[in-house]
Amino acid sequence: MPRVYITGLGFVTCIGNDAATVAGNLRALRHGIELFPPFQKPEIMCKVAGTIKGFFTDSVDPEDWTFPSTYAIKRETIRSMAPHGLFAHCAFLQAVADARLGEGDISNRGTGLFAASGGSPMLTYFHHDRLHKLGPARSSPLGIVASIVGTLNFNLVAAFRIQGASCGFSSACASSAHAIAYAFEEISLGRQKRMFVVGGEDGNRDAILPFAGMRTLSLQTDPELASRPFDVARDGFVGTGGGGVVVLESEEEVARRGVAPYCELVGWGQASDGYNVAISHPDGAGSRLAMENALAAARIAPGEVDYVNAHATSTLIGDISEARALEAVFGGSGARPAISSTKALTGHGLSLAGVMEVAFCALAMREGFTPGSAHISKLDPACEGLNILRSTRPAAPRVVLKNSSGFGGANVALLLRAT
Amino acid sequence: MSDSAQSNVTSSKPFPLASKPFAPDDEAALREALKRCSPSTFEAAVQFRKTGNADHMPAVVIGVIERFVEPDLRAKLKDADDDLRLIEDLGIDSLTMMEIVILVEDVLQLTINNDELRNLRTVGDVKTFIDCKIRGLPLPRPTKFLPIEHIGAVMPVQPPFLFLNEASVSSTGANGKYRITGQEFFLQGHFKDNPVMPASIMLEALGQLAVLFLLEGAPLEPGKAIGANTIYFTGCEGVRAHRMCKPGDILTLSIKPKRMKIPLATFEGAIRVGQEKAVIAEDITLTFAYVESAVAPAMINGALQPMPESDSSSTPPLRVAFNA
Repeated sequence: MPRVYITGLGFVTCIGNDAATVAGNLRALRHGIELFPPFQKPEIMCKVAGTIKGFFTDSVDPEDWTFPSTYAIKRETIRSMAPHGLFAHCAFLQAVADARLGEGDISNRGTGLFAASGGSPMLTYFHHDRLHKLGPARSSPLGIVASIVGTLNFNLVAAFRIQGASCGFSSACASSAHAIAYAFEEISLGRQKRMFVVGGEDGNRDAILPFAGMRTLSLQTDPELASRPFDVARDGFVGTGGGGVVVLESEEEVARRGVAPYCELVGWGQASDGYNVAISHPDGAGSRLAMENALAAARIAPGEVDYVNAHATSTLIGDISEARALEAVFGGSGARPAISSTKALTGHGLSLAGVMEVAFCALAMREGFTPGSAHISKLDPACEGLNILRSTRPAAPRVVLKNSSGFGGANVALLLRAT
Repeated sequence: MSDSAQSNVTSSKPFPLASKPFAPDDEAALREALKRCSPSTFEAAVQFRKTGNADHMPAVVIGVIERFVEPDLRAKLKDADDDLRLIEDLGIDSLTMMEIVILVEDVLQLTINNDELRNLRTVGDVKTFIDCKIRGLPLPRPTKFLPIEHIGAVMPVQPPFLFLNEASVSSTGANGKYRITGQEFFLQGHFKDNPVMPASIMLEALGQLAVLFLLEGAPLEPGKAIGANTIYFTGCEGVRAHRMCKPGDILTLSIKPKRMKIPLATFEGAIRVGQEKAVIAEDITLTFAYVESAVAPAMINGALQPMPESDSSSTPPLRVAFNA
């Protein structure tokens, strides 16, 4: 079975739009959360978001958008994009350069692309509003491909002339972890030699605020305190958007191209809570089973894991549920892997989260550090049995477990190992 | 021609101009809609909306098309003739065509049906189409693109004396292409060791395109078809040759009817090679006669129909197809 490696990363995130900036902020635990201008209205109770800097995508017309001049995108390419399509397109270009891929390495039968995003609520609303007001004949011909779930894979596959497997994944906040997992399968089954895995979210008013209806957003007005997974005073998650790309390649392809991978993607597991449409299982049953499945599939003992990048989003129920699952997986063997949630720095990237956080882990492994869990002033007593890393440790983890969970109780666990 | 006749009827309703006066609000909306077009496009649109004068229409349509064409291709549009093709020359795909249509509809306040779009292949087609819609005239017959097999089947002239490789016939004229191969029998002697396409043959090629227009264009009189074997050359005037044409050159031929009244049809014609003028003929006159309609051959009846689907060998004009 061919082994699978991570060879390239791309970032447009609230903590940086390039690998060096992201690595610096992760290591120093500098967050990317700000008071978000569209939220500063009396009727909007939530005030902060993880903001993307250097991009202006508030307009429903992509030709109004501005972005760093290092990226040149033609009208015919950008016209069908959602804001997160632009973020991901830029992250994709970074990942291509980072993995040292030539043009011929991207567009061929052996290279595919899996993507995950929640679609673009802003553009969906705009196009439907136009449809209702002006009738179908005046609807934009590109409204659908710019806004529905799948917009990310449609646009990227066309823009980069992808010829191999392509698919979109929709399991809410587990989506891009699922995308990585199935991209791993494509390569380990020998169907593809290289897969791009892309996540994206608009991270704007229309993407974040619907969660306020569920009362899951933090109402903190202080950006320093808003996202604090595992802290006893946490009060909900902070929304963010952006684009993240991970390049996966087969062992053979890594050898042929002579590139040094970030790490190996060793295996993965998944399981479902079978419990509630939106609330996590109180004991983290699905998350626990997902982790156990991943460890079994990768033939890694719990004691070998030295870092867990948790899903923990800073919600009251979710963090505890994951803590209990971690307790169940690692407690029995006496293993005490370091645990942190980088969502303390970024907020929750929803469909983007999985791929973004896998990329953070890969970056930390190469750069030689283990990021801490920021913003904890008083640890939730329910997490006391866990080794929650409160500050960055200046050593790279050898084996990393990455958790992701989504609505409906979908849970994915991915395992990375240093090469 | 049930389908196209139907759409002609439904779409040739006069444009309801001046149904409401052009208000400052409308001007603001127009400015917003045309914000990525040239200022002259906006001015022309304002004038059109205020006066309903169709003379302003071409500037609006060209301005809108220009806005959707990639910047490096816009130069082509600047000095374009009406034969400039939307797909092949300007890189406009069917989705971009829809974007153009929606903006034109919005700015000129008219409605264009999908089936009407399929026949718009050139800038000239678009201009003529919008002009007809605005003036409430019947829509022109769509441009017919004729591959060599079709040309060979209808023309009284045959190889080695047929000088058309492909042609298109619209309501306003015909265009054709001929590539000088160097194998033409007369080039052996014209001239010795120096093959140059004779000007008389180039005139002949224009005459052949005019014959094709008579046979494949709209009928001159309803129900009457021109007999392929009744068409002969009678005269020409104002002929000038500007450029020598040699093997490898691709002649781009065009003719437009000037006067048509049985038994005479007069055309103006021109040949270009690339952007260079090669031959101009101010008048080429042919005689023709009708065939008895009762015994009209099937082929000529067929020619009165819209091009059948067998036209698929040429590029489809507009495929509004989504992989949805």
